[in-house]
Amino acid sequence: MAEEWEKVLWRRQDRPDNYAPPSFLSSLRRNANFRPYTYWPLVLLSCAITQHLATIFIFVSVFVRLKENYLDPHVLVCISVGCFFTGYLSWELLDRTGASHEHRHANRVKAVKSSILIFLALMSLSPVLRTLTAATSSDSIWALSATLFGVNALLADYSAMSFGGQMHERLTSVLSMNAAISASVVLASRLANDLAVFALILFSVQAFALFPRLRHRLGLCPSALRLAFTVVLSSISVLVTISLSRTATWIYSAVQLGVTFFAPAILVWAQKFKNEIRGPWDVAVPKVN
Amino acid sequence: MHPISIAMITDFFHPNVGGVENHVYMLSANLIRRGHKVIVITHSHQPDRVGVRWLVPSLKVYYIPFVPIASSATLPQFFTFLPYLRTILIREHIHLIHAHASLSALGHEGILHSHLLGVRTVFTDHSLFGFDDAASILTNKLMAGTLKNVDAVICVSHTGRENTVLRGELFEKYDGKTSVRNSVYVIPNALVPERFQPCPPEPSDTITIVVLSRLAYRKGIDLLVAIAPRICAKFPNVRFLVGGDGPKLIDLLQMRENHLLQDRVTLLGSVRHNDVRSVLIKGSIYLNTSLTESFGIAILEAACAGLYVVSTRVGGVPEILPKDMISFANPDEDDVCDAIEEAIQIVSEGRHDPLRAHERIKTLYDWHQVTGRTEAVYDAVMASPQLDLSARMQRTMQLGVFAGPIYTIILIVDCLFFLLLEWWMPREDMDFVREHWDQDAFAELARKASKTE
Repeated sequence: MAEEWEKVLWRRQDRPDNYAPPSFLSSLRRNANFRPYTYWPLVLLSCAITQHLATIFIFVSVFVRLKENYLDPHVLVCISVGCFFTGYLSWELLDRTGASHEHRHANRVKAVKSSILIFLALMSLSPVLRTLTAATSSDSIWALSATLFGVNALLADYSAMSFGGQMHERLTSVLSMNAAISASVVLASRLANDLAVFALILFSVQAFALFPRLRHRLGLCPSALRLAFTVVLSSISVLVTISLSRTATWIYSAVQLGVTFFAPAILVWAQKFKNEIRGPWDVAVPKVN
Repeated sequence: MHPISIAMITDFFHPNVGGVENHVYMLSANLIRRGHKVIVITHSHQPDRVGVRWLVPSLKVYYIPFVPIASSATLPQFFTFLPYLRTILIREHIHLIHAHASLSALGHEGILHSHLLGVRTVFTDHSLFGFDDAASILTNKLMAGTLKNVDAVICVSHTGRENTVLRGELFEKYDGKTSVRNSVYVIPNALVPERFQPCPPEPSDTITIVVLSRLAYRKGIDLLVAIAPRICAKFPNVRFLVGGDGPKLIDLLQMRENHLLQDRVTLLGSVRHNDVRSVLIKGSIYLNTSLTESFGIAILEAACAGLYVVSTRVGGVPEILPKDMISFANPDEDDVCDAIEEAIQIVSEGRHDPLRAHERIKTLYDWHQVTGRTEAVYDAVMASPQLDLSARMQRTMQLGVFAGPIYTIILIVDCLFFLLLEWWMPREDMDFVREHWDQDAFAELARKASKTE
């Protein structure tokens, strides 16, 4: 055979133009930056989703109890306030390592101010919210709130905070929170008295606006604590649902188990189909100091 | 080779300007020179370029009344082109169509329809694509669909061929072993060396670095913005001359402002292709910071004009020039700086001879040779047996569980549509093109006309 074939165009080589050298596609790299997932870390990561689903179900069962008069709105207000203080305390504990002293003090003043503001605003708005959807049939409200909760669960920010990371409010997480609050507003408008409306909205603010932020922070905690928290929250949600409906509880538990244990297994299994192709034709990433 | 009639089909053609546009025009002109008959089919251009036009030298262009959707490409629609294409191919007695550019929907449609008329197909891919974003995945599947049944594929560089083979799934099974289809060719681009005659600048201390490129992210302008102040600080005798326009112009302006380099970094704005040489010969080093490049004709033009080239090592660029005419750098700031320093040293020591570089490029990339190699591809295609419909359907079904049936349905509907057209607009009623451009007759008429005036 004649001279060695080279991968160059500037020299005419005595091979036909359709000659495929043995080195053809030798620079192709498959799955170069691929780090396979393992099962248990994925289960741990899915805890955030489980927790979120649990809050939604706790909220819905609280609503049903309020509507059927099994639960006194006064008690719910007390529970909400209790949750708020517990949550705030744990937030402060987690925050201790973070920002400077003055900064935290300013944050505290802001938090007190805005919680008083929300408390008063909700109180004055609850008569309006109670009659908001009086002209709409209940069936539409159930469908609407179910859709909104679905949107909430799909778009929620399940990521955990990394060390030293700043909190980024992404558009989807804001949309998710709005969907959940809208769902609670339309549900609250089905209730009979103003105090119940107030109590439910207050609870929804705790569950859908404040809790996700806390959950984001919890990502820094040791995994045993996170697991324990998830188990407690799921058990509460199952317990409060079981006395209302057996069927719903079965379906809900199946979803919980599926999300926590089955979905990570599917992801781990599906990784064998991963085929990422890299080569010299990819757009390079410029490195600028 | 026996003269044949060829139709070039592409979305990208004159009056737009660019690499593909120029390639199609030059290839057509050179094929005409070799005695073939060539026409070009493209979409209409605003405001009034629609219908049939003639370009020098006797190149007939059909501007089909389709409206482009984005950056001069038309919407992929599979069937609407068939009535036009059928009429044109029959009228012009076309033997072979040559589609250009993988984003040209018109070209893909041409490949899809041509087999109905027994016309052979060749496809040239001019660009590189990734595999990991939604746009690439969609266009790659679209391309794989048409390339299943194309007779030959031409790529402009070896790296481009690897990319096209993967994207278009151009593999074939020969007795159990999977290998590349042997109808995939590599034929480089070419240039007209006379247009890039070097004119060595008068000996002086100043070294001018020329950059001619669209000022976009993909061209690596971020790298240029990062290195220009560093080089200017290190070498007081270096100037930058930047031609081109684009979204990153603002970054360059800002850099110039921040480092007070108004007198050393000149921004020319967009440069017409005719003026490229006059810009190139003002400098002695050409800098290309592209992040992806399938061939890099601009680099060749600069090298041909006698400039020493510094380029990022991306895509097909490492293949196009011998090592002593170009310095390579990885796409990171420090490496590009080092490569420029090396180039400045080479140029200031007079180790790079512009006239000798020009002579070398002249023999490496000329249109005569490229046209000859393309002709050889046409020859092989015309000699190969044509696939029948059942074979086409079988091959199309290999595309995948979902894409296969969809494309097969498109193929069948296309046949039915063709039958409808055969009945509705019979061939016998068509006006065939019997006369073609005759340069002598034209000259005679022009002479007569000037006499009577």
